[in-house]
Amino acid sequence: MAQDRTRIDFNAPTPLVERADDLAELLDTSRTRILVDALREELEELARDETVRSRVREAFYASEIDFETVESILGTEEALRMQLLYDSIDREPPEPQVETVPDAAEFYDGGVPEWPPGSEGSDEDAGPTA
Amino acid sequence: MAEEPVAVLDTNVLLTLATPVVDTRSVAPSGGDPLRAVLTGYTVNVPESVVGEVGDATGSDALLSAAADAVLRASDRLTTHAVEGRNEPAAVGLDGGELDAIALANDLGADLFVTDEFNSTNYLLVAQALADRNTLYTTPHVLCSLARHGALDRRSVDALLTYFLETKQWSRTYVGALRREYLDT
Repeated sequence: MAQDRTRIDFNAPTPLVERADDLAELLDTSRTRILVDALREELEELARDETVRSRVREAFYASEIDFETVESILGTEEALRMQLLYDSIDREPPEPQVETVPDAAEFYDGGVPEWPPGSEGSDEDAGPTA
Repeated sequence: MAEEPVAVLDTNVLLTLATPVVDTRSVAPSGGDPLRAVLTGYTVNVPESVVGEVGDATGSDALLSAAADAVLRASDRLTTHAVEGRNEPAAVGLDGGELDAIALANDLGADLFVTDEFNSTNYLLVAQALADRNTLYTTPHVLCSLARHGALDRRSVDALLTYFLETKQWSRTYVGALRREYLDT
């Protein structure tokens, strides 16, 4: 299906445009086709960059951008994942029971293993306390 | 007395909770034991395959192996179930333990299903596979809730979240939002 198209005008370094024109002629295609393909590839590359993805997440969580914008940049699956995770934040987990927490020596049969190896037994207590 | 909520945990969650407990390096927080808090605060159910995966993680000098050992030493607190009839892992993109855990959560009508898989599209797959997606929570979310209810103190949970952010591929943005919501930080 044909997509809507928007005409854009912009200035670019002359040598870059000449390179695009040379390649277009060599490949028997158009300058526009070369530029559109390059733009598409760059946007896909940016969407894979973790710094960019992190910035998109930040913007979404701060309500600076909406679901549709996330979807257009990172794709539908990632947008749905972020929406689902975002919606879950203020959903309170069931209240835990907190009355009787056993001490570590009772809780861990044989005591708490320690890492790095060799440090085991160096602490009188069997590990951090709850 | 109210009954403990019924929780189902995946392998990664158990190992994540045990990691700061066994890590004696100075980067690891020493103020709170998240594995003990979770296994005491909730009735934790796991499929046999998850216990098997934890066992598979032992036997080396790695931090993960020590964490797995700690989980096994605390396994009296886990209620283990045989799970049959789940989907094949390859068909849905989740591993065997995850699929068994989801099937178990659905069978039990669990109050919460906890996953660490929130940074990938597996989170969507888990949500779709659960009978009630409102029971889906993440490890940092549960830790924050434990702080809110006094099962762990807030400073400990804050330190644990910092530790996990430095050692795991967790989203800082998401954890930051949880901190603001639950820890007032």
